[in-house]
Amino acid sequence: MGIARYIVRRLLFSLALVLGVSAIIFALINAIGNPVEILLSERPGMPPEAIEAMSQYYGLDKPVVTRYGIWLLNIARGDLGTSIMYNQPVSEMLSTWGWETLKIQVPAILIALALATVIGVVAATRQYSKIDFGVMTGALLGQSLPGFFVGILLILIFSYWLGILPSYGAYSTRNMLWGSTLADGIWHMILPVAMLAFFNTATLTLLMRSNLVDVLRNDFIMAARASGLPERRVMFRHALRNAFIPVLTYLGILFGLMLGTAPVTETVFTWPGVGYLYISAIQQLDYPVIMGVSMTITIMLVGATLLTDIAYVLIDPRIRLE
Amino acid sequence: MAASLKETVASSAEAPKAPAARPPGLWRQGWQRFQRNKTGMLGLSLVSLVIVTAILAPFIAPYDPNDQSAMLNFGSRAGPSAAHWFGTDRMGFDVMTRIIYGAPTALAVGLGAMVVASIVGVVIGGISGYLGGTADEVIMRFTEFFLVIPVFVVILAVVRLFGIVVVGGPLEKLPYLNLMTIIVLLGLFGWPSIARLTRAEFLRLKHMEFVEAARCIGATRRDILVRHILPNAMPSLVVVIALGIGGAILAEAMVSFLGFGDPKAVSWGQLLYFNYESLKVAPWASLAPSAAIFVTVLGFNLLADGLSDAFNPRLKQ
Repeated sequence: MGIARYIVRRLLFSLALVLGVSAIIFALINAIGNPVEILLSERPGMPPEAIEAMSQYYGLDKPVVTRYGIWLLNIARGDLGTSIMYNQPVSEMLSTWGWETLKIQVPAILIALALATVIGVVAATRQYSKIDFGVMTGALLGQSLPGFFVGILLILIFSYWLGILPSYGAYSTRNMLWGSTLADGIWHMILPVAMLAFFNTATLTLLMRSNLVDVLRNDFIMAARASGLPERRVMFRHALRNAFIPVLTYLGILFGLMLGTAPVTETVFTWPGVGYLYISAIQQLDYPVIMGVSMTITIMLVGATLLTDIAYVLIDPRIRLE
Repeated sequence: MAASLKETVASSAEAPKAPAARPPGLWRQGWQRFQRNKTGMLGLSLVSLVIVTAILAPFIAPYDPNDQSAMLNFGSRAGPSAAHWFGTDRMGFDVMTRIIYGAPTALAVGLGAMVVASIVGVVIGGISGYLGGTADEVIMRFTEFFLVIPVFVVILAVVRLFGIVVVGGPLEKLPYLNLMTIIVLLGLFGWPSIARLTRAEFLRLKHMEFVEAARCIGATRRDILVRHILPNAMPSLVVVIALGIGGAILAEAMVSFLGFGDPKAVSWGQLLYFNYESLKVAPWASLAPSAAIFVTVLGFNLLADGLSDAFNPRLKQ
């Protein structure tokens, strides 16, 4: 099977997946009945005509299947609907809130990757030493530490006791740090990025170390050493390259899951990102936003998996397509 | 022949001398290896601590879980003292009592979710692995579909929406309905990894000699699957299940922390949700449940690590 056919097949499968998930969530949202009616039930005295007019305005008077069809058609035209609570296009909301999420998630992954590479190399070259043992223990502990626990500890130490970093929000409402928006934004990013990077580093380090240990046992490493190459060159040109392939898969998953883990991080730091938006949308039954955010998260996850699979085939010639 | 003899000799020399003529079974051998594993034993003791706390909760808890009398003399958010070791929380509950009563909830979530996940996973994976062919292909595509669903995001929405659907229905009367929804959902979304592993194990085992031998003596298909293949797949499954229990407990904590938990259940995540706002005034009320979650999840992760070393020693070499 050619690579092109493989990619096409994966693409079609991914598309089916996204459609399937969207149908499930759409069905669930509609199983609760008319969201407008439920929301307005807290306000007795609303005339039934008004409720009907509202439902008509949001297209809720049509049968579910028709509505799903309409929703799909609108998606194809790039229209994700309008939020009931904010009366704003969902796509616009996604880009403003999504930017804030990416702002903390992407640096966290990159920092974690750099740290994990360094720590992994140090631990793997000194396998079974005290340093290696310390790194392994730390990473194992770090992996079991719930994200919110790390966040709470960071806030307690750096915001409340030392008082040097802000504990919530993405910007100061007044008195920006050094009077600059950029500095203030970065100042607010430090704690959330630290919390995310901590968790990612723990997992990536474990993966990096075990891969390196495996690779270093190979014959070609011995051949490289025997041919008199300096140890550093053996490590970085020969071992690290090969150890990177499984890490790549995990990076793909990390990027895909980025938005999925956002709700907890963003609640801990009251960060105005997609996760925070999603939580409030669920609480307020703002169904166009629920659909928009959950679809974005699904597409990110499926897309990342797809890209990783394709990259894997391109990078590693040992993988044969059946 | 010679090689296999050597292996037999080597492995029997390695195993502790058993007085009985019968060699130690799969589980006993695993346990012997497990005992030598320090991290595994640490995990086991942490898990045992949680289990003992859960069983003895009514006897060791200093107060009733719904006792808010601390409001009268200590006040809410009182710091740790002799009367309240971990202080009191925002609502005047004794934090230590709530932590102790959170243990049974956490275990119920972890075990409940994994029972659901294991049943679904083993049945689906087993069928897929044993039948093979087209059925296998179709089932594995289906499993893959479940693997990419953003579980956490979906669970948040479903818990909230389901809570509205049941209003006025017969289900509304059930106690801890919200918690049970979370458990079932975690199970229903947690099975794909178990199914994948079961399939791989069944594929590996179905051509083994002992299975062939069982077929020769006329064992029924059900017997072959349930009494011969499944028990031999268990060692690998136990590892994934132990990991899954920790994962489910953490997931419930996060769902509750975000405010979608069961308001009637005493759970660590719930405690965190109620007290996170007053983190600055009463840090103990947020730190204690976080630490409890950490210890429990760590315990199950280390246990899984030890089990994997004990049952799959080849991986470690």
